[in-house]
Amino acid sequence: MITKKVFKAAFISSLPVLMGYSVMGMGAGILLAAKTDLNFLWAMFAAFITESAAIQYMQPDLINNVRTIPQIVIITILLNLRYAMYGLSLIERFRRLKLPRRLYMILTLSDETYALQIENKCPEGENSDDYCLAISALDHFYWIFGCTVGAILGDLIKFNTMGIEFAMTALFIVILTDQCLEKANRIPSIIGAGATIFCRIAFGTDYMLIIAIALILTSFILLRPRFDTTYKHTLAMKGGAK
Amino acid sequence: MTDTFYALVVMLTVAVTTFLIRAFPFIVFGKGNPPSIVLYIGKVISPAAIAMLIVYCFNNVNPLAAPHGIPELIATAVTVALQLWKRNPLISILVGTVIYMLLVQNVFM
Repeated sequence: MITKKVFKAAFISSLPVLMGYSVMGMGAGILLAAKTDLNFLWAMFAAFITESAAIQYMQPDLINNVRTIPQIVIITILLNLRYAMYGLSLIERFRRLKLPRRLYMILTLSDETYALQIENKCPEGENSDDYCLAISALDHFYWIFGCTVGAILGDLIKFNTMGIEFAMTALFIVILTDQCLEKANRIPSIIGAGATIFCRIAFGTDYMLIIAIALILTSFILLRPRFDTTYKHTLAMKGGAK
Repeated sequence: MTDTFYALVVMLTVAVTTFLIRAFPFIVFGKGNPPSIVLYIGKVISPAAIAMLIVYCFNNVNPLAAPHGIPELIATAVTVALQLWKRNPLISILVGTVIYMLLVQNVFM
């Protein structure tokens, strides 16, 4: 059971997410209302089953341009692959949870929720698993709230929405800008952009993503001795063990 | 008209895929430690994938025909500059998008 004290602590920690998700969610909701004729219940449903800003901004585009399921899966994987890394540091912590709770924690493991769970400001003497559940549930609620309100607003206020889809591009640009503040991310991002531009020119829009991802993975594997700071260390350890 | 059945298929596909991505480490490495190449790829793939998706977002831009991608270039520059200056994603996205909308609706028609 989540105690009052735990809930209060979780609520205070999650306030920045409340602000961020309300606005970001509203953007996603408005985009869905502007680009499709789905009502707010759809936005609510989509937000409930997927708590992920990046793919939610992409969704109207996916709905309007008919694609095959494998194409949708590839785009989702590309956008959200980073989530696969978050679980790595939570394996121990989630192992002790009962299955339904573990599944819910995985369903709602967004960037912001992950950050707050790692920070883990659970009050002393209280159950930190309950604190983390409260964080997950609050963030999830904020996201659904933002998307729903956005979709309602988008339906009520009719304006010229031409160009509004740039919000999605801008979101990616912001994420990449933040990542490139870290030096180690700069060459990987140049490889990503370069390979994709090359594939766009060489193969056209239908196959560019899949060929580009193959190209990018190959370059990273080939460049590993140069990029991976732990690689030399591992080799040295192996050499030492011989 | 939006095809609601197709919309539902898209939403469910996205949801299931995202869930499986998040569950991946628990399913695969629930019992042991992940190999170092997985950790390495996991680290470098994120900026590369985001850069790739930005290029993908500009698919409809033709640099050889008017308006030569100028609205995209301006809006991108504004978004990056604001993010570097204020470090506030909401401001950067909002202002970048509004500028882009103003440009394509009023200037580069």
